Amino acid sequence: MTQPTPMAEKAIYKTFIAAPIETVWAELVKTDAVLPFFFGAVCKTPGVLKIGVPMAMQTPSGKNRSVVGVVLEFTPPHRYSHSFKFTNYDDPPCTVTYDLKEVEGGVEFSLITTNVPRDTKTEKSMKQGGKFIVETLKSVVETGRPPLVARMMLGVMGLFEPLAPKASRSENWPFDKIENL
Amino acid sequence: MNASEDMDLVFQALAHRTRRDILDLLRAEPGQAVGHLASNFDVSRINIINHLRVLETAGLVISEKDGRSRRLYLNLMPIQMVYDRWTDRYSGYWSDRLASLKYGAEQVTKLKGTS
Repeated sequence: MTQPTPMAEKAIYKTFIAAPIETVWAELVKTDAVLPFFFGAVCKTPGVLKIGVPMAMQTPSGKNRSVVGVVLEFTPPHRYSHSFKFTNYDDPPCTVTYDLKEVEGGVEFSLITTNVPRDTKTEKSMKQGGKFIVETLKSVVETGRPPLVARMMLGVMGLFEPLAPKASRSENWPFDKIENL
Repeated sequence: MNASEDMDLVFQALAHRTRRDILDLLRAEPGQAVGHLASNFDVSRINIINHLRVLETAGLVISEKDGRSRRLYLNLMPIQMVYDRWTDRYSGYWSDRLASLKYGAEQVTKLKGTS
């Protein structure tokens, strides 16, 4: 007998970014390049990002995939949403939605997390990750580089790759498996 | 509006105990309605609505329409911007202190939430 997983209330991380909406969007959906705002991972997808396709956030070496998901919404340059599963946790996927609204002088940028399973490692990681993603994306788009704290963190992350759990190895997360999450 | 004015609004909003308490309550229970939030205070609902307006203008609270009521969420980002402003300059100091600050603050918040 399985109980439905209790969900945490959604969380919103919202900031103003002083850059054209196209610039913010381009950085957000960039594939095959190192993304400082996503902890130095590279977004991989077969073909191009669009609704229904699987995507994976993998290390630059390609050996590990930390986060996998399926694109749920893709409306350039306003809304991008995908399911989001940490490969090293045994939790069901949650949903991450990026909302871009053009305002005077820039973009109102929101990261919204929903369907996060309550009291799980996923919930804890989403809380830490949400603000990192938003502040780093803001800095990259506005100044061309991540903030110093993020640069320090990105600098050491590569060192830890050999310690990545087996569950995160890329061969365990082929696109056809991600598709059926 | 420029970045300095934005930060003025954040500090003005945070410079009131009731508004800081509101943020604590929204952190503990995101998505709650205004009425539910107001029931935690001995002041009028109008008074809480005025505080919420100040918090919203500063970007610290996001309110979303949900049918006939409004749901309230804490937005961490303005505080993150305040933090980043000085963390860059004093990062050597902060990187050492960050961990203990974080655990201490989280512990305190936790105790507050259960008392």
